[in-house]
Amino acid sequence: MARRAEPPDGGWGWMVVLSAFFQSALVFGVLRSFGIFFVEFVEAFEEQAARVSWVTSIGIAVQQLGSPVGSALSTKFGPRPVVMSGGILAALGMLLASFATSLTHLYLSIGLLSGSGWALTFTPTLACLSRYFSRLRSLAMGLALTGVGLSSFAFAPLFQWLISHYAWRGALLLVSALSLHLVACGALLRPLSLTEDPAMGGPGAQLASLLHHGPFLRYTVALTLINTGYFIPYVHLVAHVQDLDWDPLPAAFLLSVVAISDLVGRVVSGWLGDAVPGPVARLLMLWTTLTGLSLALFPVARAPTALVALAVAYGFTSGALTPVAFSMLPELVGTGRIYCGLGLLQMVESIGGLLGAPLSGYLRDVTGNYTASFVVAGAFLLAGSGVLITLPHFFCFSARTSKPQNLVTVALDAKVPLPKEGLEED
Amino acid sequence: MRALPGLRGPRAPPPQPLLLLCLLAAVRPSSADSHPPASSITSLPVREERLTRCGNFSLESHNISLTERSSVAVEKNITLQSPSNVELACQFTASGDPNAVNVSWTKEEQPLESGYVIRAADGVVHTRYSFTISNSKQLGRYSCFFQEEKEKRGTFNFKVPELHGKNKPLITYVGDSTVLICKCQGCCPLNWTWHSGNGSVQVPLDVQMTDKYVITGTNVNETRLKIMHLSEDDQGTYRCHAVFPLGEVEDHLELVVLSYLVPLKPFLAIAAEVVVLVTVILLCEMYTQKKKNRPDDGKEFEQIEQLKSDDSNGIENNVPRHRKNESAASE
Repeated sequence: MARRAEPPDGGWGWMVVLSAFFQSALVFGVLRSFGIFFVEFVEAFEEQAARVSWVTSIGIAVQQLGSPVGSALSTKFGPRPVVMSGGILAALGMLLASFATSLTHLYLSIGLLSGSGWALTFTPTLACLSRYFSRLRSLAMGLALTGVGLSSFAFAPLFQWLISHYAWRGALLLVSALSLHLVACGALLRPLSLTEDPAMGGPGAQLASLLHHGPFLRYTVALTLINTGYFIPYVHLVAHVQDLDWDPLPAAFLLSVVAISDLVGRVVSGWLGDAVPGPVARLLMLWTTLTGLSLALFPVARAPTALVALAVAYGFTSGALTPVAFSMLPELVGTGRIYCGLGLLQMVESIGGLLGAPLSGYLRDVTGNYTASFVVAGAFLLAGSGVLITLPHFFCFSARTSKPQNLVTVALDAKVPLPKEGLEED
Repeated sequence: MRALPGLRGPRAPPPQPLLLLCLLAAVRPSSADSHPPASSITSLPVREERLTRCGNFSLESHNISLTERSSVAVEKNITLQSPSNVELACQFTASGDPNAVNVSWTKEEQPLESGYVIRAADGVVHTRYSFTISNSKQLGRYSCFFQEEKEKRGTFNFKVPELHGKNKPLITYVGDSTVLICKCQGCCPLNWTWHSGNGSVQVPLDVQMTDKYVITGTNVNETRLKIMHLSEDDQGTYRCHAVFPLGEVEDHLELVVLSYLVPLKPFLAIAAEVVVLVTVILLCEMYTQKKKNRPDDGKEFEQIEQLKSDDSNGIENNVPRHRKNESAASE
């Protein structure tokens, strides 16, 4: 197969965007809407809410911690077989869950099995998408990630309808059928050979070289800090406004507002990321700082209009930083190492995500309201954006290079730490 | 149960069993030295709740205020589950002379002759009707009427507590087990019974079949029927009856039992659709690959032909070629 020098930036790439759209819908949309099954599980197994919520927590944890495995496998075998088998695993997990007779069955089937299926699908797809685009990368990312937001809207009523007609067992069976579409999405991921691929070596060599790559490590730290603060409003916003004596219905409406502005933010930021010249890191820093500020201002706002405005601002900026965060990685590590890079990044930043919500809950228990937790979340985001300043080319105002840096020598001898500045000049 | 005099008499003392219970609790030795003595009373929660909430012959008093501007009929709903002494009071702010107001009481549109007093003071007419409710026939609508220019009416509606049940049918599968719950707010029925059946045929459930039906209830105000090893015959309407001293209430729950084939058919349909999609996508890709390779083969073929013809031209017509070259070179 002929090796391309440049990513195609279109053509079959748009089919990959479609595939990524459906995949993010089927992975994260399902995860986010799983709360509807939560009530059914509590009733059916007569367990406490805390124990039932472990089901989705295990699923998310396995998905994120298993990302490097998915990446390593797709470096070796290409994304298509990995994603297709991931889809089968995810569907199998849901299928087995529909026969569950105890909560442990759910932990193993949905948490472990479906979680590892999801780990094998999401990261390789986004990495594959990065390889297909360079000029329009942010836009493609933004469009693909809108799948998450839209599916949360669609799946919540769908799951409710399924449960009211088939009870939770039948509903899980049909969600399993839905997850089978991940296999079809995987089939769309046509392998692409780029010129720097052979020089990059196998997954082990790539992982090792990444761990010595300074900018990548700094970027990972930045994203971990950002992730710690990112999820807190999703978990605590409703509770916070109910503390301020809002009714449940307007509080849920506030979350919908955040979701809509999140969606808009993703697309706008994707378009902006490609339209604006210069390193994407600056845009990321902008969005992260704005998100941090809007989070920190949450406790100060009391009036409903101020809270809604802040919610819109938070939704927009937090949605905006997602595609830029993903599309920045190929600039740092090159499209040859993108699979492993993304996998490693997801795994480390998931630590931030896992710590963020409990930390916020703990602060709330200690101080009695959500002021401290929102401020701390904002602080984490601002710290993350601060670390972003240390990335190379941040203050450089020349045109952004879309070609991956000359990192061929890196792969050849992973044990030698590279002189970073010298190699990254074009 | 002692017959109590009317409400004009002394107030009824607390029921004797409760008093006895308090004494017993006080005397009972505390289980651990660290526990304060108060906990020995609270160690009998269920029984005590039953007696304080469901105590017989408690006093119920209710009040309705009417003015000229009140709507024509003001109604108050009261739930009552055990026999009680009842005191109903109505007051009416008269625009003119309070003594000219005509006051009357009815029960279910039947006028009541005695049992009530009327008092007028400061332009307000007060009336009070005291009676005892001891059986279900005495429940119903009691109304006080004030006739000045227009007739103003206040109604007290006595009912037994209602049961709150789920309106949605409960969906289960063959071989599964399920729990049907009936509960009511703040009530304590004497007994709960379960029946199953559609329409007029009501079959009481055979609780002797303990491997099939288990009736439990953690609180007095709820009952749980657990049905195990469901089959399609168990489908239908189940009714729970709550028996109160003053009457009976029932609620119905619908149970739907599906076989596994019901969700399996859409599942297989969607799985087949996915297989078709994957095949189509892979076939399309192979087809476009073939198309890409075929023009290349065609080109190679043409090139081979070209070379062959050039060679043959060269061998046969050396001279003209030379001349051509020369002519080309000279130009």
